[in-house]
Amino acid sequence: MFPLRRFRVEDDSMRPALEPGDYVLVNRWAYKFRSPAKGDLVVVRDPETPQRFLVKRVSAVPDAMQVRVAGDNADRSRDSRAFGPIPTREIVGKVWIRLR
Amino acid sequence: MSLLYLLARWLDRISPAPIAYAHCDIPCGIYDPHHAQLAAHTVVRMVDLINQLEKPGASSTPEQRQEYTNKLTRYIATKEQHSEIAKNEVRILWGDYFKPEHVKTFPELHELVWKALKSGSKARQEINLQAAEDLLKATNDIASIFWKTKGFETITAKAPYPTERLTVYPKFK
Repeated sequence: MFPLRRFRVEDDSMRPALEPGDYVLVNRWAYKFRSPAKGDLVVVRDPETPQRFLVKRVSAVPDAMQVRVAGDNADRSRDSRAFGPIPTREIVGKVWIRLR
Repeated sequence: MSLLYLLARWLDRISPAPIAYAHCDIPCGIYDPHHAQLAAHTVVRMVDLINQLEKPGASSTPEQRQEYTNKLTRYIATKEQHSEIAKNEVRILWGDYFKPEHVKTFPELHELVWKALKSGSKARQEINLQAAEDLLKATNDIASIFWKTKGFETITAKAPYPTERLTVYPKFK
């Protein structure tokens, strides 16, 4: 499996770090040897709509099995405050670089 | 615009990149305490109407009793619905709009939301004018805080409805 996957960003809950229209390259191997850390930008499967992806920032790591994610633009974000923590197996990868 | 960005965009023609949503709640940021206030007014009005309704006496006809029952049932049904609407609107403001920094500035919010929900339940369960008034007062107090967090002053004026109770309105510039 190739480690890098690209995604296009939509919606504005991650402004100003990520703007709609940006591309992100995601490292799918980032968490093979280390655990997600608070502050990491990650792409996860949407727990409410599994066929789509969300890009959010890790806001807390309650244990090794799950993380909480939040949008930087808290006023406008739907995230773990609404749907709770996300199992780490639902993390696609860590954002490696942003292309704008 | 970087070269890599142009490359990514070019790659989209071959195979489109999946979308990662920086997803927001829909509709983003559209909140107004007026719904809660309006529903509370309706509850007050229904209690007033129920109290004004003439009870059928011992000599009343079946038709009069039927009419009484019909009116009473409709008032009660509306009171049920609108106390629930008021409670739900308060829950939306509490759960989705108000943020920790608002609560820090207005610590009384906890108590006010609590009061609104409790008096809302009481107004729903009973024919209790005081509970309905308490519900309206709590939604007014929440509205006054809501508009302050939006940077607007408020005025308190008699509502232009049959209830004529004092109501908090924003003073838009």
